[in-house]
Amino acid sequence: MGEWTWRAFKVVQSFVARLPRPWAYALAVAASRIAWWFSPLARPRLEYNLTIACPELADDPKELRRISRLNFRNHAKAYADLMQLPRARVEAMRPRLKVQGWEHLEQARTIGKGVLVVSCHMGSYEEVAAIWSATLAPVSFFAEELEPRALFEWYRDTRARLGISVLTLDHGGIRKVLEALREQEMVITAIDRDITGTGHMMPFFGKPAPIPLGPAAIALRTGTPLFPVCVYRLPDDTYMAEGTALVIAESTGDGRADQERTTGLLLRRLEQFIQAHPEQWHVPHRIWEGGP
Amino acid sequence: MKVGLVSPYDFATAGGVNDHVRHLAVQLQKAGHETRIFAPSSRSDVGFEAARFYRIGTPIAVPANDSVARITLSFHLANQVDAIVADEKFDVLHFHEPLMPALPMTMLRMSNTANVGTFHAFARSNIGYYYGRPLLKPYLGHLDRAIAVSEPARDFVNRYFPHFAMRVIPNGIDLNVYRPGLAPIRHLRDENVNILFVGRLEKRKGLGDLLRAYRVLNERVPETRLIIVGDGPQRGRVESYVQRHRLNNVILAGFVPDRVKPRYYSSADIFCAPATGAESFGIVLLEAMASRLPVVATEVPGYMSVLEPGKDSVTVPPKNWRELAASLVILARDAELRHRLADYGLNKVRRYSWERVAADVIEVYQQARKAHAAQPARELEVSGVHHAV
Repeated sequence: MGEWTWRAFKVVQSFVARLPRPWAYALAVAASRIAWWFSPLARPRLEYNLTIACPELADDPKELRRISRLNFRNHAKAYADLMQLPRARVEAMRPRLKVQGWEHLEQARTIGKGVLVVSCHMGSYEEVAAIWSATLAPVSFFAEELEPRALFEWYRDTRARLGISVLTLDHGGIRKVLEALREQEMVITAIDRDITGTGHMMPFFGKPAPIPLGPAAIALRTGTPLFPVCVYRLPDDTYMAEGTALVIAESTGDGRADQERTTGLLLRRLEQFIQAHPEQWHVPHRIWEGGP
Repeated sequence: MKVGLVSPYDFATAGGVNDHVRHLAVQLQKAGHETRIFAPSSRSDVGFEAARFYRIGTPIAVPANDSVARITLSFHLANQVDAIVADEKFDVLHFHEPLMPALPMTMLRMSNTANVGTFHAFARSNIGYYYGRPLLKPYLGHLDRAIAVSEPARDFVNRYFPHFAMRVIPNGIDLNVYRPGLAPIRHLRDENVNILFVGRLEKRKGLGDLLRAYRVLNERVPETRLIIVGDGPQRGRVESYVQRHRLNNVILAGFVPDRVKPRYYSSADIFCAPATGAESFGIVLLEAMASRLPVVATEVPGYMSVLEPGKDSVTVPPKNWRELAASLVILARDAELRHRLADYGLNKVRRYSWERVAADVIEVYQQARKAHAAQPARELEVSGVHHAV
């Protein structure tokens, strides 16, 4: 995003932040239709990724188009949520969140080594993180540094006021992640995209893709349980945070093999999430070799 | 005891008086007293469960004391209030800012139980008190006991109503909420020295002086960051000042919910309160000290009733950004001094715990009840609801 795009974003954001939620969504849906028709690269990439994740869509172009349109729509609504965040109140968010698999989170917290929540690019994580940060333990996002800097700072400051720390994918960020876990906090990260370009080739939906091994490496080092979670939007515009059984990283002495095995277990869970809700997995990026 | 707490301000918005009322209600409930709250509110959901809340009137914004007071001026309060008060049968009604229209004044006239008033405000002058003295004086006669939150607040009332007796009981601080060692906002903890400002962005809070001082500080000590927590009418001016002067490392956090605010204190190294006047107390100073932060503040009467310069703080004359900058530079460079001031403040702030403050207030309630019982039955000035309006 360039400087002028950022400024335009800020103008739109200031406007959307002041709208009632249904109006903001209506605007988002209209924008998503335009984006779906006119995006030169995002839509072909998304549709390619969806056909890898759900091979049956490759033979059904009509269904693929429907899923891809819904995907844009859900993502635009997530953007509307993001734009409304500076004025959001946790008390108002709380009734909008439903949770499945709460017992796994409780189990993870009783271990006393923090919780590494591993997920994919799906849903509005801020809502979950803000509520968990208010009710359970401080939450940090382990995420990419956006461009331009002003956008990243806005993103970071907006989350901070909800009690969410934003840690960058660098050495300083990793040090802070370890600090946070030592103090039994929760760290949320996504592993379905290799943002830093340092990923390790792993089978993802049966096809090799660069995947970050960082969360598995941290879990092996600290003994922190890994909690696979996905957040998706329900038809009434509330959210479901669905968690599955914990993945406990076990060391056999071979560091790389342990990281690969643990990451493999996480990827299998994420694949199930994505196949169950392909209309919510918004990754219009190049994940696999050979894609557009 | 059954206590009714009356606030004149919009209970749905944050503010010093309403925070005081909320904390006092919690402490009174803890001490086994039944508590109810009366206040106007712009929202039906005020997010407070500890005591039953009666929403009386709709607030409107009225300029007052270099700020904006959101109070109700409705002339139809008495009907509502009369029925509730008759039904609840309070032992004590505690009025915060008892001379503030319209809710406290209406209720005070109608009350026939023990009445306690707490004066929070401080200003250089008050035109309403000056010209309204003959009208307001009878209302003070309805109070069985009165409290001021600081000596400047007491002196301010006594300037217009001499010989009116008040006991000074300071504002309290919840030491379970504000304490050292809370999880910081992690991305704010780095090599920078973080200077924190907390308050409404309005002229009297002196943020303009702090920004000028920060400009100097950031040139001398580049590893510094200014974190501004709060929102208000001056926000646009603050943003444009930051852009115009290309100030590095300034974070405008905006309005931060109460549950997150302690973590901002925990992420800071120095707390700065540059108000230009009109502060009766400065709860933010207690929050900073309880979070083990050294304070740099201006020498306004309200702040000076809390601070001990050289022991827990460095103080400078109000509206003097050069001295403010010099003090910040000294503290930013001297970690040992910061720790010494912070340790003293942390030790001292225990005397302001809400438990202690509430115990003093309960003592005043008991005195008020005795004083009320000793009086001949007060003839109600309101024989019918409609006479009250």
